[in-house]
Amino acid sequence: MDKRVVLAVAGSGKTSHIINKIDESSRALIVTYTENNYKNIKSRIMDKVGFIPAGVRVHTYFNFIYSFCLKPLLGNKIKSKGINWDMPLSFTLKLNRNDPKFYLDGHNRLYHNRIAKLLDQYGVMHEVSERVEKYFDLVCFDEVQDFGGHDFNFICKLSPNIESLLLVGDFFQHTFDTSRDGNVNSNIHKNLDTYTQKLTQAGYTLDTELLSHSYRCSPTTCSFVSESTGIKIQSHRDDETKIQLVQSAKLADEIFYDENIVKLFFKDSKRYCGFTENWGATKGLDCYSDVCIVLNPTTLQHYKKNKLNELAPQTKNKFYVACTRAKRNIFLVPESLYRHHKQ
Amino acid sequence: MKQIKKIKLKNFKRFRDSEINFHEEKNILIGDNEAGKSTILTAIELVLSGSKNKVESIGLESIFNTDIVKEFLTGEKKESDLPTLHVEVFLNEQENPDLNGRNNSDGTISDGIKLVCEPIEELGSEIREILNQDESNFPFEYYSVNFTTFSGEAYSGYRKFLKHLSIDSSQINSEYATREYIKTVYESLAKQNQRIKLRNEYRLQKSKFVEENLEKINKDIDKYQFSVKTGNKSNLETDLTITEDYIALENRGKGRQCFIKTEFALTRSGDGQGIDTLLLEEPENHLSHTNMKKLISRISNSEAKQIFIATHNSLISTRLDLRNTILLNSNSTSPISLEALPEDTAKFFIKAPDNNILEFILSSKVILVEGDAEYILMGALYESVTSRTLENDDVHIISVGGTSFKRYLDLAKLLNIRVAVIRDNDGDYEANCAQNYNGYLDDNINIFYEEDNEKSTFEICFYEDNKGICDELFLPGRKTLTALEHMLKNKADCAFELLDKKSDKLNPPTYLSRAIEWINE
Repeated sequence: MDKRVVLAVAGSGKTSHIINKIDESSRALIVTYTENNYKNIKSRIMDKVGFIPAGVRVHTYFNFIYSFCLKPLLGNKIKSKGINWDMPLSFTLKLNRNDPKFYLDGHNRLYHNRIAKLLDQYGVMHEVSERVEKYFDLVCFDEVQDFGGHDFNFICKLSPNIESLLLVGDFFQHTFDTSRDGNVNSNIHKNLDTYTQKLTQAGYTLDTELLSHSYRCSPTTCSFVSESTGIKIQSHRDDETKIQLVQSAKLADEIFYDENIVKLFFKDSKRYCGFTENWGATKGLDCYSDVCIVLNPTTLQHYKKNKLNELAPQTKNKFYVACTRAKRNIFLVPESLYRHHKQ
Repeated sequence: MKQIKKIKLKNFKRFRDSEINFHEEKNILIGDNEAGKSTILTAIELVLSGSKNKVESIGLESIFNTDIVKEFLTGEKKESDLPTLHVEVFLNEQENPDLNGRNNSDGTISDGIKLVCEPIEELGSEIREILNQDESNFPFEYYSVNFTTFSGEAYSGYRKFLKHLSIDSSQINSEYATREYIKTVYESLAKQNQRIKLRNEYRLQKSKFVEENLEKINKDIDKYQFSVKTGNKSNLETDLTITEDYIALENRGKGRQCFIKTEFALTRSGDGQGIDTLLLEEPENHLSHTNMKKLISRISNSEAKQIFIATHNSLISTRLDLRNTILLNSNSTSPISLEALPEDTAKFFIKAPDNNILEFILSSKVILVEGDAEYILMGALYESVTSRTLENDDVHIISVGGTSFKRYLDLAKLLNIRVAVIRDNDGDYEANCAQNYNGYLDDNINIFYEEDNEKSTFEICFYEDNKGICDELFLPGRKTLTALEHMLKNKADCAFELLDKKSDKLNPPTYLSRAIEWINE
């Protein structure tokens, strides 16, 4: 069995890498973290094969762990009525892990971030592996960087004896903390080395080469990102693009009104009309050519001091996501120049 | 091939808690009236159909076990004690994770689907109100009907895991049943994309007909036009029928309809499409003996389909191999499979002349006799020994014709039937009667015979003990034969005459009296 984690950079063709493995006769499971990516993968399979092959299942992670793992294996013991998407109240952290109240809310809904723990607590992880093994030859978890808390333990413990168990993700695109639960694995996203170490300890082979080059971003963008943030990314391309810090209000406004340039804000993009979006929300999107990145004061300061690598990890990751949306030019605009557009 | 491995029933009609294992291909359900043969077919059909509508139209009060309801109402009537109803259908490997899981009462990981009726939790306070009433009121209306797979996923009629078809000969002429039948067979033989395409083409043809043909009339009318209906109630599927020799199915006689429906349901299209599960309710109804034989041979040759037949007919159960038989007993809810019947015995009954095998299987006390004479006289002899009738004591007399007793004894052993075998000694009681059945004798099986080798047959024994009436009846008019010789030459006729004229004066030979006394011990 090949148990492998592939660290990918933005725009390196992660999804294509997965889709390439799928054909009409595949017995494959693809698990995504976000709803967006779920839809994207499904439509990419439809494009390739013409339909979703009978042996292929695409699930979002929480749907997978609830409907595919928990319900069939523990459904007769745990009478749950769905998933609670809120974070459990903190007093529950003091409860015994054998206490159903740790997992279920007052309406018998399961806390989303504790379903994986429940499977482990009831000792059915080996049955989860067997079930996966029974129906699939290839299992792929996409966006694996967003697995935290008990969910990270889940992918570590999962060990079906199949052809290939593949984790794909971009460590630096970790922006969600949906999986968190107290201090379980709370530090894994702080350092790439400790993160990869945990996975290799769980038996995964680390692959940093396969998807290290971006198709989407130019060498210019890639070296800007690598040098300024310290996040390593290389390009398959050899053309040059522009990266420009905009300082004139006139040019900033021209860009603001240009419907072909997306304006990416650190947050609150909804308060600016026009073609705008938040940095983090663009993860997975591949539809922008020129990109305008609006720098909030903190980021601007770090940029000017050439210390973007010292940004808080979450902010740095989101900035990285924003930069790597650009197929062509990047305009960096200080947020102050757009203050008058804010509603 | 998709198969049902077993069914588990809880509080479903007369089954409080039952489990029935099925055979891969054929399952012949036999049993007395009210033993639950149709109930099992109904249970299978409900679960496979995934139709709440079907459950509701039968009514929860008629599918719920009446005893459990009564017990609940006469007990403490605690809300938490409200009974639930389960029908679980365990399937063979389906290669589908949606069917696989532990959501079944065995608690093992298997493929399957189930129907569960349980009180709706959210209506707790309303239910309590009803239960607090003084009169016996069971809250059927507060129960939910749920279909789920063993993986815990809900399903409905739109998602059928097994294609099934039920043919009930008592409803063979109903328009609804025929329409459902045609629809199911059509859906099983034509793929969905094919069906959609055909439906579309049919509609186009209709509008073409309107344009080209109705136009002749329409052109002379202004403002309003004639047209042809299309839509939900008139489309290809509603207009479809099945014909044989250009005569539509519904215009055939009941017997022929029965035959056609069953035979057609057994077909599979070239690419292996077709019905997975066929449920036949008393197919013998409306069928002539010849047609039944034809149908049986058609069924016995069908492959790659699982068939469930509820029947009262011996021919069907023997010809389709008794080992496929599942016996339902009206006084117990645990069905008995005849799977363990020795192969040669099962094969014997496939080939044996038409017989009363079902009568034998369904009896608890049987006297097996060799020939017609014993069979005819047994009732009268029984009365003279016991002063009761065979019906009073529920004793059955079966003439096995020849000496194939052992075949019946194999069955008797399996089913714990009390059997008295009455045998002629044929001149050597030691060999023919005593040693011959050595392995079979037990508390419930006994052999009765005359130990005097001179009295080799029933007639001789009977004549010895009834010389007066036999001579009186048979000697007058004889020129060369003695009365006994006449009786030996005309066994059945003489027996009938004795029964007709001297039934109250018959004196049973000792070994017969012993048998009659033993059977009721």
